[in-house]
Amino acid sequence: MKRFNLELAVGLFIIAGIVCLGYLSVRLGKMEILGERGYEIYAFFSNTGGLKAGAPVEIAGVDVGRVKNINLENYQARVALNLPSNLKIQEDAIVSIRTRGLVGEKYIEITPGGSENVVRPGQRIRETQGSVDLEELISKFVFGKI
Amino acid sequence: MRFHSTVRGFSIFLLVLGISALVWAAEPTDRIKQTTDKILSIVANPQLKDPSKAPERRRLIRSAVDERFDWEEMARRSLAQFWAKRTPEEKKEFIELYSDLLERTYMSKVEDYSGENVLYERETIDGDYAVVKVKFVTGKNKDIPVDYRLRKKGENWLVYDVSIEGVSLVNNYRRQFGSIITQFSYENLVKKLKEKAEEK
Repeated sequence: MKRFNLELAVGLFIIAGIVCLGYLSVRLGKMEILGERGYEIYAFFSNTGGLKAGAPVEIAGVDVGRVKNINLENYQARVALNLPSNLKIQEDAIVSIRTRGLVGEKYIEITPGGSENVVRPGQRIRETQGSVDLEELISKFVFGKI
Repeated sequence: MRFHSTVRGFSIFLLVLGISALVWAAEPTDRIKQTTDKILSIVANPQLKDPSKAPERRRLIRSAVDERFDWEEMARRSLAQFWAKRTPEEKKEFIELYSDLLERTYMSKVEDYSGENVLYERETIDGDYAVVKVKFVTGKNKDIPVDYRLRKKGENWLVYDVSIEGVSLVNNYRRQFGSIITQFSYENLVKKLKEKAEEK
């Protein structure tokens, strides 16, 4: 009887461990298991500079959403963003792809606009600014003034 | 009889040509081309090259730019969420300060441009909005890619944002103005703009 209790305790402990591991991997991997929350909007860029799906979307440096997916459409990048449903984006907001530091990861920044019209789920944000190639800019700056 | 029908056919042909030219003239790329050509002809005009004619030249360039740029829309977009809180007088003053700021920033670059070549690369129209991609080839054979974003106003296409080397002008000022207003105040921003205006 005592032996059985010990085995039960070990079993429960291992199951609890597996559940914790599952929870952790879902949290860390930023996976959505219970369907999608929030809404989706998209934007077109001529150059994403290697932006990845899952990259953060920020407003004023605050993490507000994720890049859901990136597809090629008409030789342009169509980037879908997932945002919380209580966050309204004005139609003249500008979506830009930025780099953390000089060589850091790419992320999306939204600079809010002043329009009264908001972008509804599934709609497109027109104003975008693609990734700026720093190396190219520096070389232009360095070699441009000859 | 036969002669008549030929004449009629020819005049219809001319009419169609004329109409298509008219329709074509309203396209965004052509609007940008008109303004660019106008400015380049002012810059290249030998009668205006003399230093004593500089104010006159600047005035002419400015009026050509004014025709194509929607300053109010640009100022509104640059102030973004702070625009709605301004009174009509403040808005008017701000548009003035804003267009002067851009004039001071870009006028010398326009004046120095020797106009080697301007390439009109692509135009995308989406309802009342359009993007015209232009490449300015400078004397040193360096290309400066510029995207004009235009909006249809009545029958006219007006510029509301310009991206140079992929960096949006409105976005740049929106960030700067936003950080000044949140850190200090709108009055402080106006003061800064006025100080800059008096520097020259």
